[in-house]
Amino acid sequence: MTAKDVLELIQKNLGSPWNENTYRDVFHAGDPNVEVKGIATTFMATLDLLQRAHAAGMNLVVTHETTFWNDRDDTKGMEEDAVYKFKVDYCAKNQMAVLRLHDHAHSHRPDFIMVGLLRALGWTNSASPQNPRIYSFPTTTLGELAAEIQRRTKSKALRVVGDPKAKVSTGTAGMGYSTGRFSPEVDVVIIGENPETGNPFDATEYALDAAFFGKNKGQIILGHNISEEPGMEDVANWLRTFIKDVPVQFIRSGEPYWSPVVRG
Amino acid sequence: MAISRRKFAQLTGASLAAATGLGAQQRHRTAQQVMEQIHASLGGAAGEMPLDGFKAGDPATEVSGVATTAMATMEVLNRASREKTNLVLTLEPVFFGRTDGAAAGGSAGGGRGMAGVNADDPVLVAKKEFIQKNNLVVYRFSESWRRRDPDPFATGLAQTMGWTKYATGSDGLRYEIPAVPIGALAESLATRLKARAGIRVVGDPQSRVRRIAMLPGVSALAATMKVLPDCDLVLAGETREWESVEYAQDAVAAGQKKGLIMLGRVLSEEPGMNVCAEWLKKLMPEMPVHWLPAGDPYWRPS
Repeated sequence: MTAKDVLELIQKNLGSPWNENTYRDVFHAGDPNVEVKGIATTFMATLDLLQRAHAAGMNLVVTHETTFWNDRDDTKGMEEDAVYKFKVDYCAKNQMAVLRLHDHAHSHRPDFIMVGLLRALGWTNSASPQNPRIYSFPTTTLGELAAEIQRRTKSKALRVVGDPKAKVSTGTAGMGYSTGRFSPEVDVVIIGENPETGNPFDATEYALDAAFFGKNKGQIILGHNISEEPGMEDVANWLRTFIKDVPVQFIRSGEPYWSPVVRG
Repeated sequence: MAISRRKFAQLTGASLAAATGLGAQQRHRTAQQVMEQIHASLGGAAGEMPLDGFKAGDPATEVSGVATTAMATMEVLNRASREKTNLVLTLEPVFFGRTDGAAAGGSAGGGRGMAGVNADDPVLVAKKEFIQKNNLVVYRFSESWRRRDPDPFATGLAQTMGWTKYATGSDGLRYEIPAVPIGALAESLATRLKARAGIRVVGDPQSRVRRIAMLPGVSALAATMKVLPDCDLVLAGETREWESVEYAQDAVAAGQKKGLIMLGRVLSEEPGMNVCAEWLKKLMPEMPVHWLPAGDPYWRPS
């Protein structure tokens, strides 16, 4: 079975139409005709991830995000970059191929990535009957909620805005690059990543000012990886339902950051 | 008041009319007049910069003092009111979005691409009432100040870190500091910038770095790819996780002893607004001017 065969199996089993015009969900490194020994699904095909996948005997990486550091994986002008050359050479030398599965991980019903995020948050069955994009939970404080999410996701770099003592009972869950929006029905806006200011709506500044006025609002920023990686485990489980001949393994690329200890 | 040669030199680009008119107008000047002096001194017209301008309050308000900040949050506006600096120059928006509340609309719920804040939003209404009640005037001073050369955000960060003497080149963006492990550098940044949870780091804490390139504010992949090959660490405001962050991770995985530190947008820009305050103090010595930092917006459960 070649890497191209795997892509065709994914297209056939998706259960919804494949967008032939996708620039994302194509091969971005390696030879699509390579014989597949094993498949690793992950959030991002970082060099570190490729090295660990290779060590585990997997030579096809199915990644949700980019390989070459931009959404189009446009490598024009990168030919002389030492890191680019290292990564390309690494794939060639080890006969690895990288296939991105972004748009169709989201367009699958249910959205694999959303399923993973809700599981990570503990919100799988929390959608409010009135509005399925708002999640309800027993009243807690913003501090307790953030601490619980930190425990569940094992995040080292999660960031929170708002009064830790604010009482909260509803929230929205944003995957990846997402703008959350506060409303009277939404206490907590959870997102992957977003510019800190200058968006159509800046939730960070809003949460700061809402706290100043004593309103029970908070923003929790998970990081892109933390918000979207869990769903790639669901993609691995799904691949195993129709790919039996080679091993399929979910390997975390992992949260890219650490944070310094703050004293005093 | 006679204008000394030094002061005259500081009024670079200011028209003689504006400079000689100062004496009579100093004690009772409107926000409009103060901003005209600032723009004349910067050598650019306010109208050229579509994001900048008065966002709240009456430009005819008499100015009791000027506050500079990276983001005019309620905490900052409250301090501005207490310290009687009623003209607030903010680098980032005051009304929760890039159009500063001009284009309201959108519906409740999560998702991307939503429009700005609703006109009847209770936090927006309360903030506007506070500004009005306390006679504040808020001016978005972003594009105008970003045009300064050398980059005031980079030179401000360097001052905060005590690196000014280590500058290489004249653009203020590159420094060669005594070698330091990334871990110790990150802690030092956190202390000096009074960070809480906003600083995030890519790279081995033990790797020693010496050549620092600064990318304060928001920056794209191209900027990191341009500077990281020739430096040890990029000190950025914010970059995207699938762009510069992944590139820096890959440089590390390729065996390079390098790193990327993201301070957060506001934290990285705030020292540049202190530079702005110091510049204003020289430009208008009679005017009380205070830098009111917004602080690190983020915390993390312990």
